[in-house]
Amino acid sequence: MQMLRSYRLLVTWQALRKKNYLPLMMAVQTLFSLGIVLGYPLLFPTLDRTSIYLIATGAPAISMISVGLVALPQTVGEQKTEGSLAYMRSLPVPRLAYLVADLTVWLAIVIPGVVLGVLVGAWRFGLDLQVSPLVVPAVLMVALTSTCVGYAIASLLPYMLTVIITQAIVVFVFMFSPLTFLPDKLPAWLEAIHRLLPVQAMGEVTRGTLAPNEFGLPLGAFVTLAVWCILGFGVTYAAMSRRG
Amino acid sequence: MLLEIGQLTKVYRTGTKANDGISLAIGEGEVFGLLGHNGAGKTTLVNQVVGLLRPTSGTIRIDGRDMVADPGLARRLCSFQAQAQVPIDGLTPRQAIDLLGQLRGSSRMEVELRRERLVEALDLGEWLDVDASRLSGGVKRLVAFAMAAVAPGRLVMLDEPTNDVDPVRRRLLWRQVRTLADHGAAVLLVTHNVIEAERSVDRLAILDEGRVIAEGTPAELKARLGAALRLELVLDPDAADVPVSPFGQSAVPVGNRLMVGVPMDAAGPAVAWAESLKCAGSVEEFTLGPATLEDVYVALVGGAEAVPAQAAEVFDANAA
Repeated sequence: MQMLRSYRLLVTWQALRKKNYLPLMMAVQTLFSLGIVLGYPLLFPTLDRTSIYLIATGAPAISMISVGLVALPQTVGEQKTEGSLAYMRSLPVPRLAYLVADLTVWLAIVIPGVVLGVLVGAWRFGLDLQVSPLVVPAVLMVALTSTCVGYAIASLLPYMLTVIITQAIVVFVFMFSPLTFLPDKLPAWLEAIHRLLPVQAMGEVTRGTLAPNEFGLPLGAFVTLAVWCILGFGVTYAAMSRRG
Repeated sequence: MLLEIGQLTKVYRTGTKANDGISLAIGEGEVFGLLGHNGAGKTTLVNQVVGLLRPTSGTIRIDGRDMVADPGLARRLCSFQAQAQVPIDGLTPRQAIDLLGQLRGSSRMEVELRRERLVEALDLGEWLDVDASRLSGGVKRLVAFAMAAVAPGRLVMLDEPTNDVDPVRRRLLWRQVRTLADHGAAVLLVTHNVIEAERSVDRLAILDEGRVIAEGTPAELKARLGAALRLELVLDPDAADVPVSPFGQSAVPVGNRLMVGVPMDAAGPAVAWAESLKCAGSVEEFTLGPATLEDVYVALVGGAEAVPAQAAEVFDANAA
């Protein structure tokens, strides 16, 4: 009962805190998607059908990752530095309620950008996406995993290191992750690394549910995401509960 | 006693000993001041009480219950105003105070009633529905206090509550601090504002380098100083020598000033001595007034930046 009451009040608090940034976040995410679906055809004037679908479905995945693995850790890192995270931790609420409430608000920030990304991609390439109903759990899973892992990064590392790591993640995700291309384009060693990391799985479940007729839906990707999600949440929860 | 701290020691991973064997006890209805320089270990102490830090050794008990073993209970029993600004940008003071009150377990009606009283008492009405991102630092600090006071725990800890607050509202805030204690809370007040503390606390402890170096009521501590009056000399920066006090009391240099303790019956000779120094050009101006808690503080730790050993010796000599 106390858990639910705390959760409800904390969601209100965190949503009000972030309400001023919500339009900005959505704008940035939409720009990500626009940049990808409008920019790639400029780089590669002749795109085959598979590439078009990869770009259109990769853009929303990238926008989710950009919030979860970049914007979120930078924001939480700032909160750590300015002491506001410590203040929230001093409140008489269960740690779990605080963490779940904050993740809820971050998910709410991520989702509109995903929808916009899909619409922009479908419009630009004139695609008729036969979206699977599984897209809802898939998108939630991707968003939750990226936010949990992002939270874990910010919880474990000092702020400056968080900023540097998240900048590196931007480059890694954009240039060297199989989101807008298939993994077999990568060198074998990088392909092997991506089989362990969550980013490739995020791309696979997103495109597998947005365009199931074009791509298969590998169940293994869901398992990979679930493992990373639990890991990220566990690390974050432990860091939140730890007394220095 | 409601809060009992025993031999509390906190050593950070860097090796810094922030608290070194601190023992304190605070009763219900009491406003207890914790004074000390920046880095004296005040915030480390309150962060351990509220469960943000784990003590290296020692005990923290509230109402006889072990807070080190149950930090969740500590958070429920303590209201806390942190030194950092509260994270309420995007919220109005009304929303922030109400949310905090409800998070502390009070009903919406109770919170609204109490918030109305606090807002009126602190004269915050004109900002009640303004986004906190547009509020000044001082007003935010008052809102943070109201958040700590809207549904107070049995122990209320206030870490530098008056920072950035204007002088008029400072008085209003101190009145509310007293009201909290009058309603039965134990109030632990962390500050380095000695003058305000003297007027507001029942008892206090002075912390220096993680240790309690003095504890008592303001009157008790002033009595330890052994001087009823304080002569403040503003020294001429070009003068070669620092004047030597003829009164056998403390004489502590602080920057370009010299704080000289003077017995009550030596007020006349003290003024005459200061006048002679002024005529000789070694002193620019002087003031004679009653000794304050600030003099005790300065004698103990205030001269630390200038002459730490000397300041401490002078005080000890007079205390002995």
